[in-house]
Amino acid sequence: MSQSSSIGRALDEQRAFKYLLVAPAVFVILLIGLYPFVKLILTSFQNITMFEDDHSFNGFVHYARLFGDERLWESLLHTVAFTAVALPIEILLGYLLALLFLDPMPLKRLFVAVILLPTVISPIVAGSTWRLMFDHRFGPVNQIIAFLAGGEVKLLWTVDPFLVWPAILVAEVWQWTPFMFLILLAALSNVDREQLEAAQIDGASWLMTFRKIVLPAIAPVLFVAVLIRALDLFRLFDVIWTMTGGGPGTRTETISVYAYQMAFREFDISYSSAIAFLVIFALTALVIFALRRVEIAR
Amino acid sequence: MPNLQLSSVDKFYGDVHAVKGVSLEVPEGEFIVLVGPSGCGKSTLLRSIAGLEEISGGDISLGGRSIVGLAPRDRNIAMVFQSYALYPYLSVYENIAFGLRARKFSESEIERQVGWASELLAIGDFLQRFPRELSGGQRQRVAIGRAIVREADLFLLDEPLSNLDAKLRDGMREEIKRLHRQLGKTFIYVTHDQIEAMTLAERIVLLRDGVVEQEGAPLELFERPRNRFVAGFLGSPSMNFIEVEQDGDGPGIRLPDGQIIDKFEFAPEFPDGGKLVWGVRPEHFSVASGSSADMEALIEVVQPTGSRTFGSFTLSGTHVVAELDARAQIAADQKASLSIDVERTTFFSAETGEAC
Repeated sequence: MSQSSSIGRALDEQRAFKYLLVAPAVFVILLIGLYPFVKLILTSFQNITMFEDDHSFNGFVHYARLFGDERLWESLLHTVAFTAVALPIEILLGYLLALLFLDPMPLKRLFVAVILLPTVISPIVAGSTWRLMFDHRFGPVNQIIAFLAGGEVKLLWTVDPFLVWPAILVAEVWQWTPFMFLILLAALSNVDREQLEAAQIDGASWLMTFRKIVLPAIAPVLFVAVLIRALDLFRLFDVIWTMTGGGPGTRTETISVYAYQMAFREFDISYSSAIAFLVIFALTALVIFALRRVEIAR
Repeated sequence: MPNLQLSSVDKFYGDVHAVKGVSLEVPEGEFIVLVGPSGCGKSTLLRSIAGLEEISGGDISLGGRSIVGLAPRDRNIAMVFQSYALYPYLSVYENIAFGLRARKFSESEIERQVGWASELLAIGDFLQRFPRELSGGQRQRVAIGRAIVREADLFLLDEPLSNLDAKLRDGMREEIKRLHRQLGKTFIYVTHDQIEAMTLAERIVLLRDGVVEQEGAPLELFERPRNRFVAGFLGSPSMNFIEVEQDGDGPGIRLPDGQIIDKFEFAPEFPDGGKLVWGVRPEHFSVASGSSADMEALIEVVQPTGSRTFGSFTLSGTHVVAELDARAQIAADQKASLSIDVERTTFFSAETGEAC
């Protein structure tokens, strides 16, 4: 009996040692993850601006303000709508590109690397570049259109209320389709070739093969890619900030742009914190819901 | 009458000539086995018949109609793959029904056909399970079930048993042969395993480097191989090849270690002063008593299998295996007197390897 208890003690010590080893990492995670989050919640219940440092409890004033803030709901609508349009386009284009690259071809690696370049570029740089591309006088986009149309065109891509969203869409799809392409290429190359051949011999149509064999095989990977991109799109900031700054007016303001405006243009830190908390809350709910769905599917 | 005809089929992969002008006629209902070492072109040939590979030259016709250029789905063939290629996200029932659904069969028709196939293959108990929940042998049955429900003209089987363990393989071999008799359809079976080829085939087509080395009934190839390659490929343990010389002017032959065997009714014809290769299958040896012995051998290794015992020895550098009676009194490092059933042995030219 004494022997078993001494073994138990040794195990306890081992366990304690394990925790000791991971402690620094846990500390860092808490420091950069949990602390800002708690601070954010605290700030949203105070009334801090860039001019005032009022730490007194302010109640739910800022949260109440959220509901009446039309500009907020409009920016949320922009965010959701843009995600709903951009994401399917990225998936579709990425899928088609991946199909193209499934069969062996000369210089395949080189082409894949070139296609991936946009994703490697910092979004700020990409946004600034597209801002120049869409410049109404000097930008290549208008020049190419002018060349094709055979006359002068002055499309105000970053100003015209009807053209700003398409311009942002082009920039965003250009930058992130390669991400979908790469992930789908990896997923599709893992679809068993003999299964596809068996389906061919069984006489299955393209659609039937896709639905019954390809889609279930790539679904887990596709799901993760869609989740990552959906979260990215929901937080969309850089490209819009560099291309339009949220304008004209509030026409292209997304929730992130609006929160930024509130914090660093209006200097209303506490209200901005409340908006940020709303976003975190919404996204967390979305992720939990999505993960649940996948578990049910399994 | 949907008989299959291949006429000088060629297949290139880049510069590699994988199938070199193979011609073959398969009458309806025959069980034919394409066998050969890996890389001999047997799988390529099968996939070309299925339409999964495009042939580079020649013609393939089914029932008198060329099927070259037709999509696999339009050839009315069924195929069993080496990896089974079951659809992992569909139940066993849906796997078997897949081809029927693709061809727009009615629900009641599908149910009837799947029921028939699952009864035939004894897989009725797990129709609702998924492939990953099945053992290798069960998966194999499902793969066969998927092939037979469609009532195809031609069944192609690509090494269907090579992923099963030895015992299961023996059982499935018998079942496939029985299935062939029940269905009465043409089976084309690809394997690298000579035992599968011998046991299953009505006709064996032995391929090497994209060329048909010999075709015919299993025992015909076994007893009268056209050349050394065919002789060595079929049979396990392999045929022994012993280089022999003529014994002076007499009717006998001289083994490499000097022993003389001279009981041939028809003495082989030696090229002038040259040598021949004598092909003796392990089972052509037997333990002899007294004067009936043809030769003496110093046994080196004894391997009893229960039913038979293998004894190996060396004849001046040539390794020889003899398959002997299990009760034969032989032991390692002891001399044994052996007799040889010389009339069943074969002689090959030392230069060309052709039988003579």
